[in-house]
Amino acid sequence: MPILSVRDLFLHYRTRKGVVRAVDGVSFNLEHGQSIALVGESGSGKTSTASAILRMLPRNVAKYEGVVEVDGKNLMELENEEFRTQVRWRLISMVFQGAMNALSPMIRVGYQVAEPLMIHMDAAKDEALAKAEAAMESVGLPRYTVNRFPHELSGGMKQRVVIAMALVMRPSIVILDEPTSALDVMTQANIMNLLKQLKEDEGLSYIFITHDLGLASDLADHVAIMYAGEIDEIGPADHVFVHPKHPYTGRLLASVPRLRSEDAPEFIPGAPPDLTRPPPGCRFHLRCPVAFEKCGWVAEEFVDRLRLLQMTAQGKEGFPRFNEVEARGTQMVVLRTDSDSPETLAASFAEFVKSGRETNPFLKSVRSVDAKTKAVAVTLHEGAPPPLIGEEWRAACWLVQEATAHDTIPA
Amino acid sequence: MAFSGPMLGVRAVLIEAVRTKSGLVGFAMLALLLGMVIAVPIIAPFNVVRAWGSIDPWLDNPRFAAPDWVDTFSAQKQPRTVVMTNCFTPDTVPLSDKTGPERCPGGSWTRVAVKVQLFGNATFLTMRHKFTFTADAFPSEMHMDTWARFGSNGTQISLNWTRPDGSYVILFTSALSRRAPTADSFPLSQMVKVREAIRSWAMSTYNATDSANIKPEVTLFAKADQGMLNPNTAVPLKGEYLLTLEVVGFGGDVGFDAKAVVFGTVFGVAGTDSERRDLLIGLLWGAPVALAFASIASTVIVLLEIILGAIATWYGGWVDEVTQRAADLLLILPILPILILIAIVYSPGIWAILFVLVIFGIVGSSTKIARSIVLQVKEEPYIEAAISYGAKRGRILFKHILPRLLPYTFALIALSVPSFIFLEASLSFLGLGDPTLPTWGSILGDAYTGSAPFRGFWWWIAFPAGGIIFATVAFALLGYSFDKVLNPRLREE
Repeated sequence: MPILSVRDLFLHYRTRKGVVRAVDGVSFNLEHGQSIALVGESGSGKTSTASAILRMLPRNVAKYEGVVEVDGKNLMELENEEFRTQVRWRLISMVFQGAMNALSPMIRVGYQVAEPLMIHMDAAKDEALAKAEAAMESVGLPRYTVNRFPHELSGGMKQRVVIAMALVMRPSIVILDEPTSALDVMTQANIMNLLKQLKEDEGLSYIFITHDLGLASDLADHVAIMYAGEIDEIGPADHVFVHPKHPYTGRLLASVPRLRSEDAPEFIPGAPPDLTRPPPGCRFHLRCPVAFEKCGWVAEEFVDRLRLLQMTAQGKEGFPRFNEVEARGTQMVVLRTDSDSPETLAASFAEFVKSGRETNPFLKSVRSVDAKTKAVAVTLHEGAPPPLIGEEWRAACWLVQEATAHDTIPA
Repeated sequence: MAFSGPMLGVRAVLIEAVRTKSGLVGFAMLALLLGMVIAVPIIAPFNVVRAWGSIDPWLDNPRFAAPDWVDTFSAQKQPRTVVMTNCFTPDTVPLSDKTGPERCPGGSWTRVAVKVQLFGNATFLTMRHKFTFTADAFPSEMHMDTWARFGSNGTQISLNWTRPDGSYVILFTSALSRRAPTADSFPLSQMVKVREAIRSWAMSTYNATDSANIKPEVTLFAKADQGMLNPNTAVPLKGEYLLTLEVVGFGGDVGFDAKAVVFGTVFGVAGTDSERRDLLIGLLWGAPVALAFASIASTVIVLLEIILGAIATWYGGWVDEVTQRAADLLLILPILPILILIAIVYSPGIWAILFVLVIFGIVGSSTKIARSIVLQVKEEPYIEAAISYGAKRGRILFKHILPRLLPYTFALIALSVPSFIFLEASLSFLGLGDPTLPTWGSILGDAYTGSAPFRGFWWWIAFPAGGIIFATVAFALLGYSFDKVLNPRLREE
């Protein structure tokens, strides 16, 4: 049985612009003594997932539901006060992003490490401090650091203090939220080795949040690739990093600069979608180089892209001559022209779609082009969000569904 | 004050503050004031201050006297006050029942008694007192008190004035009507009898020109010439003067004592006011009063405002809203008119005024500052960390948020002390302060009602005003140095 099981976790925030769907149906399991890396771009919902697990909610929560089970017990059913006393730091603790600021500047670090003990165990100050000292020693901090203030410590030492603080209550699950960002590579390596060693010695299970694929591959047994509040691909780190199934994972891996390579690192065109209005169908389809009919194109997106294309390619040989383009409903686009007859336009547009499919994936969504009395109606394929399919190694992509009918793990 | 400085503890802030120039000067000035506060109860115990409102303790001081060190800056030597103290206390005046010299334990009078049985049991008592006069200006006033014991028969005294040039004049002869311990009071400068005696003496002996404005304290100390009756033309005569009191009593049971004062024109370090009070005592006591009032007021008010502001902002919601609106309201209320109203209606003491100030300062500008800082601090990752490891809201407030406000609280207290010193002085100046305590403001108020600015009594204005300025500047400098430490843009490199 997994030590942590997250199922259909939702965390939406209410903002002035609308509801931000930061975590939108995330599910994963974490086995005892293992670690799972949540990887993704900024704003993909990694930290929000951690917040949702630890119930660290801001005021503007719009939707917070799902199942978070630790050892078979659903934490979501606990009252806030029970959650505070039973879960926080007893079951799950967290190492915060940016250790530089995760320590109160006015308090000696030893006391900060001891604070959870004093809160949860009503431990006497001396006893708590002694335990804090032990915890700090276990992360490799010299004894004298107990009485130091945060500004007297280096970045790596501060990071160790924050890790000691997370471990002082001996929880079984530790969430590591970008534990090595803002550290230099040597310190980063030190901290990573420390985390690995602690995992082995103490039997800890980690949820490791990072955007650094190298670190994720170093520490994680499993990896979950997040995009726009959803998990796109999840599986054993060896497999996901070696033969990514999802096009996004592949692109992410390709964007890592390589030593001794003449090729410039690839990048993914476009920006992550606005999470108040995530794209229908597969959320990645707008930036996906291999998107096709089923990925969930809608008329509005089609019109936007067509207009963009028109601006750059107007007047060129073979570009259909139309004056107006407008979306009608979700699956129909209407083209109008002054110069040509609808039939001519329909023919040239169909020809353009046929030839441009490979360079402009959005053209693949065209199901039919029909000439009407005054205009041309372009009907689009219906799409749907792809389910996360597979057993141990799962990906959410229609291409994967088509390519592999059943779950296969290449050797 | 911007919240952008490096995060420093209280000790670090104090050390840094002393390093700045203004901080050093401010601390030095404050140390001087504190030294004064500590020394004052030794120099002038509190019962001296209680006498501030009464007349008796100050009777031996000249009125409107400048500080005595003005001599140093002038070629003219000003006369000091000469007090010829009484020999006994009013209650213990003894009967003169033996012929011969008598002792004078309390003063330096020479007493000789002569008892004569023949003429209806008469007692003759002579009291003499010598003093040297060396000033270049005339004394300001003369006064004598006598205490007499007698039976059914009255007692008569006459006062003789012997001058260094050998001449002498009988100033007056009078029958005593009061019995000790009640004193017979002889305001020599104002007595018509004395003036007439001096006029006829000066005119007949020295052929002096008559004057409409004869002042005994001038003519008696003037060189014998024609102009000696006119205060504008008289010239001081230096030398040894002798005061002789001759008493005649009948019935055998006669006792007598006297005290004479020749008031000078200078007194003490800080001069005197219209009530002859020693301004130095008032000024010295003004420091602890001003400091205690202002520092208690500013400490209590700033702490209240900061803590309430921090609590309100931290818990947020309607608590925050109510606190902020209350702060807006109290900020626009003019406190001085309200205090004047309260002072007029209730005539409260200084502590009641302090209480009213605290009530009206329970939220205010510091609440706003606390809010701006807490709004920023509450978003810091370590607060999130504290929430995540299960710390309760109250614990986070006291352990993590309030310590961050502490250095700013120091600066705010230091910066708001001057305004409370001013406020107390303003109220006292308007006569609405505590009437029982001498404060800088009330001395200034007395000076104003005593027309000091128009009559040239500069010491009456300069010293209390200087005290207010000194204390204000000390705290302002301290505040600025804190500001410099906490606001890196103002740092001295």
